[in-house]
Amino acid sequence: MKNILTIIFRLTASCLVAGLVMGTTFVFTNKAKKANEFAREEKVMYSLLGYSKENPIPESMGLHEMFRYVVSEGDIQSIGYLLPAESHGEGSFNFVRIDLDGNFLDSSSVSISEEKVRDQKDRDAAVQSALGAGRYARFVDGTIVVTDNGNRLAYLLGGKFPGFKTHIAIMLALDPSYSILGLEVMEHEEDPGLGAEIEQDYFKNQFVYKPFEKIKSIDVVKSPLPDEYFEALEGKIDESAAVDVMKQYSDRDIYALTGATISSAAVSSGVRAMTRKFAYRLDILDHVINEQQIAVPF
Amino acid sequence: MANENSSLQLLANGILKENPIFKLALSMCPAVGISTTVMNGLLLGTAVLFVQVFSSLTISAMKNFIHPRIRIPTYTLTIATWVTVIDLSLAAYFPAAYMKMGIFVKIIVAFAIITMRLEMFACKETVSDSFWDGLGMGLGFLVGMVVIGFVRELLGSGAILGYDVLGFKPLLFFILPSAGFFVVGLMMAFFNWIEAAYAQRKRGNP
Repeated sequence: MKNILTIIFRLTASCLVAGLVMGTTFVFTNKAKKANEFAREEKVMYSLLGYSKENPIPESMGLHEMFRYVVSEGDIQSIGYLLPAESHGEGSFNFVRIDLDGNFLDSSSVSISEEKVRDQKDRDAAVQSALGAGRYARFVDGTIVVTDNGNRLAYLLGGKFPGFKTHIAIMLALDPSYSILGLEVMEHEEDPGLGAEIEQDYFKNQFVYKPFEKIKSIDVVKSPLPDEYFEALEGKIDESAAVDVMKQYSDRDIYALTGATISSAAVSSGVRAMTRKFAYRLDILDHVINEQQIAVPF
Repeated sequence: MANENSSLQLLANGILKENPIFKLALSMCPAVGISTTVMNGLLLGTAVLFVQVFSSLTISAMKNFIHPRIRIPTYTLTIATWVTVIDLSLAAYFPAAYMKMGIFVKIIVAFAIITMRLEMFACKETVSDSFWDGLGMGLGFLVGMVVIGFVRELLGSGAILGYDVLGFKPLLFFILPSAGFFVVGLMMAFFNWIEAAYAQRKRGNP
């Protein structure tokens, strides 16, 4: 009996100390970790749009985030969009609900600051309080609409899909006609030397300049990548010539990576699904926005 | 182990005589799965080194407090704590390295070599001896991972540390996990051969 008590006491004490050590580390590192993740995302976003630290984004451009939610009310589900309101002031967001057939249901204003809206917990709480009891909102994904003087320039969307080993997370930049402007692989665990080559320019840049019509049915082909195309994709020739070559190939399928057809096919079908779904959803949302005269900055 | 050379002996013991990968054949899963490049080997080896040293120190300092009946859970708890600390610190201060080996760091909890060193050494010996033993074992693992990574990266991708040195890929097979066993096997044979040759020389036989 005495043994058991000693064991319980000592194990509990060890657990408490361990918890204290881990908790302290978490408190000290969490801020830096979040800042790193945010900085990386921002850097990728800018580079997809063709900007960098040396070539900063012009003042006239704006990045507007919108968030998609699934709202369930008993058995009935609807889609909710948290959209920034026209005037960019404190707490100016609208939560617009659309039913599954694409018809407008209602709109309510949500007060949350620009900073807090990026944090999922704060945002969820704000949306939930705007919806009231009986309805439950679940966050699905976020999209960024890039504007220049109020005209839409690009959409930035993140996505995750299964790869050969685990999931692949990418960020995609689309122009207003849903053609692809850029693709960046954010996370993956494919085999180095094989599937991990999806990170390389000669693979991911194949998607750039592909029109929406082609993306809708894009697939992979198992044939060698032509040399001139490879050089253009890798940026080994000057930029305008590279763009010309890439546009020449814009109606072709994606050349699969040697030894990694499954990873290649996973990325191309992932991009296909993301783009198609996004185009479908945005058309419905735009229709509702125009019909209801909802003020948005894009 | 109170003589003057003991700390150096302990250090050398981990790196050569009882090298975790080539001699003890422990923690083979990570050795085979992750060591596809020199960089991966270096990063994971360094993380293991830190966890091994800190865990050895902790267990050695707490050895009178740990009840013998529940020592294994306590080891796991200790290792898990240090792995979490390393994981969080890497994510916060070395984001580029963390991106490459984020999930590998978490599986250090299950590495046999660390638990084995705690059970065999740290729970019996003094704090300073445990420190040298942990350092030696960690370095031994690090060296092993880097050597395997070197061979596999050179033969599989034709590169070293990501720089293309050969200009072509000699044997793509070496990137795949199964090739890790071949490299480890060859290295083991090499280490044993050196030891046998050394022992023979010491005896004075030709």
